[in-house]
Amino acid sequence: MKNVWCTVVCAVSFATASSIALAADVSVDTSTLLGIGQRDVSGAKSETLLPATQFLGLDVDKLADGNLSLHLYGWGRADLADNSYNRENVDGNFTYGYLQYRFKEANANARLGRMFIHEGIVNEQIDGLSARTDLPAGFGISTFAGAVVHGKKLSGETSDGKGDTIAGGRATYRYLGMLELGLSGLFEAKAPSLVSHINSSHRLMGGDLYFSPHKMVTLMGQSSYSPETKSVAEHSYLLSVKPLEGLIVSGEFNEHRSGGYLSAASLFSTMPSYKPNERSRVIGGSSSYQISKSIGVAADYKHYTRTLGNADRFGADARLSFSDNSIRGGFGYHYLRASQGFAITPYISASYHELRGYLLHETKGYFAALDVIAYLFKEKLFNEKSAWEGTISLGYHLTPALALSGDVSYGKNPEFTDETKGLLRLTYNTTFDIKGGK
Amino acid sequence: MNQLKLTVSILATAGLLFFIAACAQMGTLPSLPASHPEALAIGQQVNCAECHEDQQKGTLKPYKAFNHSPVFVKSHRFYAASDDRLCSTCHKSSFCNDCHTNKVQIKPSTKFGNRPDREMQHRGNFMTMHKIEGKLDPASCYRCHGRANNERCIQCHR
Repeated sequence: MKNVWCTVVCAVSFATASSIALAADVSVDTSTLLGIGQRDVSGAKSETLLPATQFLGLDVDKLADGNLSLHLYGWGRADLADNSYNRENVDGNFTYGYLQYRFKEANANARLGRMFIHEGIVNEQIDGLSARTDLPAGFGISTFAGAVVHGKKLSGETSDGKGDTIAGGRATYRYLGMLELGLSGLFEAKAPSLVSHINSSHRLMGGDLYFSPHKMVTLMGQSSYSPETKSVAEHSYLLSVKPLEGLIVSGEFNEHRSGGYLSAASLFSTMPSYKPNERSRVIGGSSSYQISKSIGVAADYKHYTRTLGNADRFGADARLSFSDNSIRGGFGYHYLRASQGFAITPYISASYHELRGYLLHETKGYFAALDVIAYLFKEKLFNEKSAWEGTISLGYHLTPALALSGDVSYGKNPEFTDETKGLLRLTYNTTFDIKGGK
Repeated sequence: MNQLKLTVSILATAGLLFFIAACAQMGTLPSLPASHPEALAIGQQVNCAECHEDQQKGTLKPYKAFNHSPVFVKSHRFYAASDDRLCSTCHKSSFCNDCHTNKVQIKPSTKFGNRPDREMQHRGNFMTMHKIEGKLDPASCYRCHGRANNERCIQCHR
């Protein structure tokens, strides 16, 4: 049934678009990537990797009366040597493809096809229909319905654990620019029974908040509840304060109950650390300060609490920009101090230092970049004390829209004793240099 | 039972009337433009306040709240959850889907190896590191990968 639905949606989208494509604005984004790599796996034969990948995005605006548009995006890959991932040497994905009618008033629009829905607590990919509009007196409403986009079947199961249809929406109230209250929910048809995985139908309801009583202070976040598992799913809130121009200080509180938040994602139930009744927390803060137009610094801290143990991560970054932003660079350091429970079995420590630095130079003609990242483990992992990877990239704009570039990276890491990779990249992007810069 | 039916009928009628009245007034409500009217610099952390200083119309949130500071970039999910229509004036959906999608071909940091200045997850050897990071905060995996169950995960997580 779902396949029929997908076929109908796609056929209608393409047929409609092609029949009314008069005076349309067409923009194309493509990236052709040819990966070249050799992977030496400890205790196994060396693998030669030669994956060719094509990303394609197409946007056709100003169709019909000027308010209709078509948006498509997806990718396909063929392995020209050893399989780069898993068993299949070809793969692909139709990420989204929808027709949108955008009304001139009230931020109203309607979409038909495959799309992502981001509304309050809702974050889903569907094949179906969505619509939204502002309403008078600060109210707003959005709704969606359609077929669930399924993934690969779970191992030992006859499905991916998801129901077939899904619907939901969000109602909002805004007062000036200082307050927004949202109520949202989603309802998925009954999920199929699974043999060896834990799953539940994906059903959530919740609310979201934006409150800025003063231009220096903003509180935003969301809470959700799963009526299916009768459990709170998530509380996630961010308080940000801007006491000075260029200075932002923020605090974050996140709490998740596995039973409510992750139970509809059946794959998580295979993780040894998954406990349906667990309540986990991440509390932290971050701050950034733009010292001048050329120099910005940021620092962050997070404290993780799980039944596995506790962990702290802290660090700082600096960003630099010179020559009218054509030279950019940055460096940073972070340390993760984690309990033994987070360590990779059978090792005893999960703590590590992370160091990173990068530099890039862009001109209208050529562009070049250097990026290095290193991990220093507190205790040896797979008999290695550290891991690192460095990448050099060089490219040239053949035309303003067409660019050819190549990357070479080399790294040493605990599992693959060393890894050398190359990447040839041909990009054609007709939209970056127009207004909006999408 | 009759009283319940009456109450539901009254509420439904009131809702319908409100909806009709709201629709009638929709023509007076402004919309955001489909695209940002000016070209924006690539590779710069956009400061909306450079042009939109203290501008606020109707129920629009202050533009300054959307300055792309490092804190904003790390916390962008809070903004996107309620203002994706504002995001879409400058960003295509595919900009989000480089990371947030049910099926990723390559790591975003590899796809954009020529843009190390962009905030991309999973740099370096994430094959090893995900065994630690996934235990630390599985909710953070779910935010980008959703209920993916994709092939690459299933290969090991059986």
